[in-house]
Amino acid sequence: MRKSPVQFLAISVLLLGCVATGDALIDQQPAPAPAQAQPLRPATGGTLPPVGKDSVKFLVIGDSGTGDRAQNEVAAQMWKSHSVFPYDFAIMLGDNMYGSERPQDYARKFEQPFKALLDAKIEFYASLGNHDDPNQMNYKPFGMGGKRFYTFQKKDTRFFVLDSNYMDRDQQRWLEQELSQSKSKWKIAYFHHPIYSSGGRHGSEVDLRAVVEPLFIKYALNVVFAGHEHFYERLKPQKNIYYFTAGGSAKLRAGDVQIGALTAKAFDSDRSYMLVELDGDSLHFQVLSRAGRIVDSGTLPRQATGGTS
Amino acid sequence: MMKLRSALLVLVALTLAACNRVNSAETQALADATAANKTTPVNKPSITADGQAVNPVGAAVLEFQKRIEAYMKIHNEAEGKVPNLRRTDDPVEISSREKALADAIMTLRPGAQPGDIFAKEYQPYFIQIVQDDFKKRTATDRKALVHELPRGVKVSINTVYPTTLPLITFPAMLLRSLPDLPPELEYRIVGRHLLLRDVKANLIVDALYDVVPTIPT
Repeated sequence: MRKSPVQFLAISVLLLGCVATGDALIDQQPAPAPAQAQPLRPATGGTLPPVGKDSVKFLVIGDSGTGDRAQNEVAAQMWKSHSVFPYDFAIMLGDNMYGSERPQDYARKFEQPFKALLDAKIEFYASLGNHDDPNQMNYKPFGMGGKRFYTFQKKDTRFFVLDSNYMDRDQQRWLEQELSQSKSKWKIAYFHHPIYSSGGRHGSEVDLRAVVEPLFIKYALNVVFAGHEHFYERLKPQKNIYYFTAGGSAKLRAGDVQIGALTAKAFDSDRSYMLVELDGDSLHFQVLSRAGRIVDSGTLPRQATGGTS
Repeated sequence: MMKLRSALLVLVALTLAACNRVNSAETQALADATAANKTTPVNKPSITADGQAVNPVGAAVLEFQKRIEAYMKIHNEAEGKVPNLRRTDDPVEISSREKALADAIMTLRPGAQPGDIFAKEYQPYFIQIVQDDFKKRTATDRKALVHELPRGVKVSINTVYPTTLPLITFPAMLLRSLPDLPPELEYRIVGRHLLLRDVKANLIVDALYDVVPTIPT
């Protein structure tokens, strides 16, 4: 049975379409909607004020614990941002302290750089990085409640703080239980190692992804923040979950982002930090450099069902 | 007509090839990671002194757990000798408590030897798990797992884990294959060695040396 050229063309186009879809499913399935962040404002100028009145506002710090000049300059800029965008708390994405962790290191790498924030009673909620002694969990200013992994609630948002250095069965069971019980409007996870990343040095942590992503999808997580990579990257939504990497709050791996299919926006030429606001069904974010310049900003709508497979 | 058909076939083939190239390394690594979890060491049954055939994997895990329990008795005894662990604003308390606990455990295990917990006769069980896991990883993946650490780090049991060294991420899929540990203990990889580390005391409890396959430079 011979097919006409038109039939053959139609079959080929259909086949091409299937192939393209199959490829997308392998790794970088575009979120159904919305793949693009709506800009808050052109990415110029300084800190933007919050949009909502009763919103959840927080600061995102990643890989900050060097105690060096860069950390202090970024911390000073974070405090400047607070006068325009009064965040209530800060989340830390790990590597809270590099090198030794003597009492004087706690002072030099945390208490002194963030003194203004601590004095203003801004709460910190830390996660553990690969440079962190797990005994940091007992340090009250890190807000970990004596636990390597924990959860906390801010208004209609539930945060799940994981220890990605050591994702054992205990933690997996705990995560599944906590995710399954959460009825919060927003579900946000953060931890040190990015499961999607375009970093040339590290890249995506596929081992960790194999373990946690099915839970994120099953229980409709909305957003994930990670550090470890010393730059900023906003990733294209993966299986309908938003991913940010923000590990450049003191260390910098300049030029390390290998811009590719995963990347929505990246910044790797200076240190950076994020300001995030959850206002109803919208997530507003802005990313600022050490000099206080906005390098990325936008608004993402809350996904109807969170992560989807 | 034939030319049009051939051109379309070439187009389809090129598209398939291009799609396969995209992120193939990452996808492969993910598939490998998943597959690694399915690997279980299979040995011939061991024969006990009274002539019974036993599952060697089960016997290894059982013996390992007994030794872990024995260690935990020491750990708990040491904990009883140092101030209680509590949340504090003072980092001095954290570091001095960690040191005191490590000192107390070291004192209670003066003759600790490698293999006290990773018992020699059951070491092949652990070695096989680690090697099976690494065998299924790509060279890039293997390298990524250990590149955080400086080369040539020496570790000794019953000593403090060097406080200036990062703790490299323990591969989540490998962790799934190893026997569970109480929260006070964890597995760690340093260089080519698999360590048992006391979390609260930052102490190297036991080590299985040269178990990780050589990592390409």
